[in-house]
Amino acid sequence: MKSVTDTGTVRPPLNLALRALLRADATVLMRSKISATLSILLPVVILVATTFGKSQHRLGGTTLTIGLALVIGLLTSSMLGFTLAIAGDRDTGVLQRLHAAPVPTWAIMGSRMGVQVAANLVGSIIVVVVGVILHGLALDAGQVLLVLGAALLGGVTFLSIGQAVVGLVKSSAAVLAVSRVIFIVLILLGLVGGTGLLGDTLKSIAEWTPVGALMTLFADILNRAGWSAQDGWALLACVAWTVVCAGIGIRWFRWESR
Amino acid sequence: MSEGDVPATLPVLQVDQLEVAYGARTAVAGISFDIRPGEIFGLLGPNGAGKTSTLSAIEGLLRPRSGFLLVDGLDVSEHPLEAKARLGVQLQTSSFQAELGIEQIVRLFAGLYGARLDRDQLRTALEQIGLGGELGRRFKQLSGGQQQRLALFIASVHEPRLLLLDEPTAGLDPQSRRQLWNRIEALRGEGRSILLTTHSMEEAQAVCDRVAIIDHGALVALATPAGLIEEYKFDPRVVQAAHGEVTLEDVFIGLTGSEIRD
Ligand SMILES: Nc1ncnc2c1ncn2[C@@H]1O[C@H](COP(=O)(O)OP(=O)(O)O)[C@@H](O)[C@H]1O
Ligand SMILES: [Mg+2]
Repeated sequence: MKSVTDTGTVRPPLNLALRALLRADATVLMRSKISATLSILLPVVILVATTFGKSQHRLGGTTLTIGLALVIGLLTSSMLGFTLAIAGDRDTGVLQRLHAAPVPTWAIMGSRMGVQVAANLVGSIIVVVVGVILHGLALDAGQVLLVLGAALLGGVTFLSIGQAVVGLVKSSAAVLAVSRVIFIVLILLGLVGGTGLLGDTLKSIAEWTPVGALMTLFADILNRAGWSAQDGWALLACVAWTVVCAGIGIRWFRWESR
Repeated sequence: MSEGDVPATLPVLQVDQLEVAYGARTAVAGISFDIRPGEIFGLLGPNGAGKTSTLSAIEGLLRPRSGFLLVDGLDVSEHPLEAKARLGVQLQTSSFQAELGIEQIVRLFAGLYGARLDRDQLRTALEQIGLGGELGRRFKQLSGGQQQRLALFIASVHEPRLLLLDEPTAGLDPQSRRQLWNRIEALRGEGRSILLTTHSMEEAQAVCDRVAIIDHGALVALATPAGLIEEYKFDPRVVQAAHGEVTLEDVFIGLTGSEIRD
């Protein structure tokens, strides 16, 4: 047991701490089988189900299906999985113990988010590959990169929404309830609202919701629609949601649920 | 400051007029005490007296309403990370990520505290605390005694100046309790100071050099266990609580009252 922080030096090296955090968080994420399975399985089920019959047309075509599958995967892992893990660890005192360690708080949270973002990327690649195979969609390398870029952004947006939830809601039971409701509202608004099925007002609102904006980006990338002003607004919407929710989530976050 | 510059007499912990509040509710109402190098110091008090709140403030987990906290001469509020680096912490309820095995938990905290541990050192250390065969087990699968031993090992993995142990022997059987006392004394032998909280007067008497009794967030008495008995053995409240010869528990009950706290 050799300590590099003998009582003289100031604080432990941040790189050692970050490496330890990342390794632990990655292990935890890989071992959280239910949440990992759900965030891959759910999108794949959507992709498989839509290969049957004419359901694709009802949903708006292949590109929309793949976009939806990506969004569901990202929402499940970044919004539901992430918030539940944080809230659970806060309830049991895991977070409090980490907080007592000599590392900046951003490192503790940043490591969890970083690992989640990496997992999102892997999940999105799987969804795109499965989607391309099942639906016979031809994508060039540029499109794939853009899709992954959008998935990265969407994942970060959903993570910050999740962070806002754990910032404002304390107990893990309440976090579960609230994030489920948000999950459903986001899907309904972004997807059903976006089709115009619920009227024009909701359609224009839907375009500004995180899911709606992300769906716009996915659709335009997959359709090779070229860059439009609408994509610009969608991008802006995602960034705005991210900034606002992250701000709320950081400002009101508590390390213990008591 | 390097270790050589610290005078041997400088306390490893100075708590000065510490006040902690949760909203409008005061949990610690102006407590002061020092911990000397190599000392085992016991914080005694009924449930809700403010023991955990005092420790939480020292650990940097909550911001005191007022007062000063110096760890090794470092102001905790000005140098939170540097102060945390000198502390070994065992919280009242030890909890680690349920998905991690104990070897991974130790590696995580060794990394967080900047302690370099190779695989062999880690195995040897875990063997020494009787967890050699449990490397892959999860924390929740360990017995209470094993959990406390592991938590104490993690608290001391970076050889801190001061260990803060919140009810380290709560819920343990007598064997595990004795073993933990030995471990705590061994840590003191390695030059560490220890601040522990306990409900057990037997424990306070067995391992603590000095004890402070706190109640309703205020310091009621502070001395060696024997000194406390000597000081209060003729106090009417203590005499009334005593059954025969006055014990530390009689002093405790006499000074903090006999009504039940939750
Ligand atoms: N997070 C908290 N929020 C509100 N009140 C708290 C909190 N933690 C402790 N308290 C209150 O502060 C007082 C001291 O609690 P604590 O420090 O846990 O006492 P002890 O550890 O001596 O049992 C108690 O009245 C307790 O109810
Ligand atoms: Mg307590």
